[in-house]
Amino acid sequence: LAQKTNNISLWIHVSDLIGVSPISLATIIHSTDLFSERKVELKKDHSWQWWMFTESITCHAWSPDLSMVALCPNNNEVHIYKSSQDQWERLHVLEKHDQIVSGIDWSSKSNKIVTVSHDRNSYVWSLEGGEWVPTLVILRLNRAALCVQWSPKENKFAVGSGAKTVCICYYEQENNWWVSKLIRKRHESSVTSVAWHPNNILLATTSTDGKCRVFSTFIKGVDTKDPKAGSPAESKFGEQQILQLDLSYSWTFGVKWSPSGNTLAYVGHSSMIYFVDDVGPSPLAQSVAFRDLPLRDVLFISEKMVIGVGYDSNPMVFAADDTGIWSFIRYIGEKKAESSGASYSSQFSEAFTKFYGQSKATTANEASESSKSRGGVHDNCINAIVSLSKAGSPKVMRFSTSGLDGKIAIWDLENMEEELGHQF
Amino acid sequence: MAGAGGFVEADNAEAIIARIETKSSKIESLLKQYKPVEALKTALEGSPPKTLDERCKSANWIVVHRALMAIKDIEGMLNALDVEYYDILMKYLYRGLSTGDRPTCDQCLKIHEKLTDRAGLGCILRCLTDTINTV
Repeated sequence: LAQKTNNISLWIHVSDLIGVSPISLATIIHSTDLFSERKVELKKDHSWQWWMFTESITCHAWSPDLSMVALCPNNNEVHIYKSSQDQWERLHVLEKHDQIVSGIDWSSKSNKIVTVSHDRNSYVWSLEGGEWVPTLVILRLNRAALCVQWSPKENKFAVGSGAKTVCICYYEQENNWWVSKLIRKRHESSVTSVAWHPNNILLATTSTDGKCRVFSTFIKGVDTKDPKAGSPAESKFGEQQILQLDLSYSWTFGVKWSPSGNTLAYVGHSSMIYFVDDVGPSPLAQSVAFRDLPLRDVLFISEKMVIGVGYDSNPMVFAADDTGIWSFIRYIGEKKAESSGASYSSQFSEAFTKFYGQSKATTANEASESSKSRGGVHDNCINAIVSLSKAGSPKVMRFSTSGLDGKIAIWDLENMEEELGHQF
Repeated sequence: MAGAGGFVEADNAEAIIARIETKSSKIESLLKQYKPVEALKTALEGSPPKTLDERCKSANWIVVHRALMAIKDIEGMLNALDVEYYDILMKYLYRGLSTGDRPTCDQCLKIHEKLTDRAGLGCILRCLTDTINTV
């Protein structure tokens, strides 16, 4: 009944009766066509809102006007939802892939969606007459495609794959199809993430071999040579530009360039985040170790500030001080714990005491529960963070995160400028 | 950092073992003076992570073990230890836990609990994922 009426208060009442949290109730009962939408606005000064779309979200991307979101609900489809008056309506289901869709990107100028999947294929979707029409892109891969991103000028896109290669695809007007050019050299293992430099030529990649590399993807006929003499963009396609960065011993994920393209940030699975300033012939690299579980993705919200998201289900803020040293600042929602969050943790420790009958156990547990009671928006690993500001803008005021809990949360930094400090 | 290369060869290992022996005598004297914290610091300093040679690692482990078992005041020890040594200490704790020896494991577990409170889960992650700098 609660599900049919979509009534939030009834939902919470029912879950209280049963004695489980509302969120786990939603995941138990919820079916895929009737999604439960809950808009929860927490404190006024920390504006975030979230919606639970499905059981688990692999990746998501926003339309140019930010009214629609395309997401993969952990299967071979792409669902496009449109928001109208705080309700989300599913408009399209793009079904072409045979396996899980691992990457989606929506270009803001040309309004095209590119999707890549574990089935080694990629499709470019264009909106024609209200329907999304796919165009197959032959990537020539013999392993899964893992990530995709449109280049800043949207004339190319890069695909990272488990075949230890990166495909750079561009549109050939004469034959009316997308051609894929492969960077076969150098990677020793799967390419987990790709990021374009603002100059549309340089591409940074991270891989499960622990290294971050920067390549030139200059393609004759597609890219125009930079008139500045000695510009790094004039290198051959696929040639490494920078000494590859071996700062990490473990898998690396989530590489991103800063708005100016001067700094690179990427994360390692060993709970470390790496920053490289002045990317060029003599880069300045820093490794920052932090307390908690590893990150999966990062986003530059300004030239000197980075938000990292990952297994801790709570976005972390890193910033560079005036001398250029990067460090962990705080969790984004870090304030007094929400009352519901605190009661959850105390209930847990009470149960724990009953079970083990020791007071010592509770103190250790409360410390580990504190991360959950820290303003928790997501309950599970956040695997993607996407900017909601115009591409190429120096500051990001809003961004969205999606995770394995099936939620998409939109974070608004408008009211947080003072708290974030002058680096923002 | 040159990646996976740069491992020490067999002859250099002898030099490292000699260094460890001098370290060990220093630690013995520190322990006699009831300064277990200093002893542990000396033991952790200059741990040879980049050697493939098992003997160096074992030699250093014996020294660290000696210092670890002598620690009674864990909080105080962690207060005095620099943050950069947390990761190395965690690695040695796991080595201690893997021995299965009752008193060693007891001591290691006690220190592990306090160290996790201070250094967080990230410290444990770094020990698990670091397959190159093992102890």
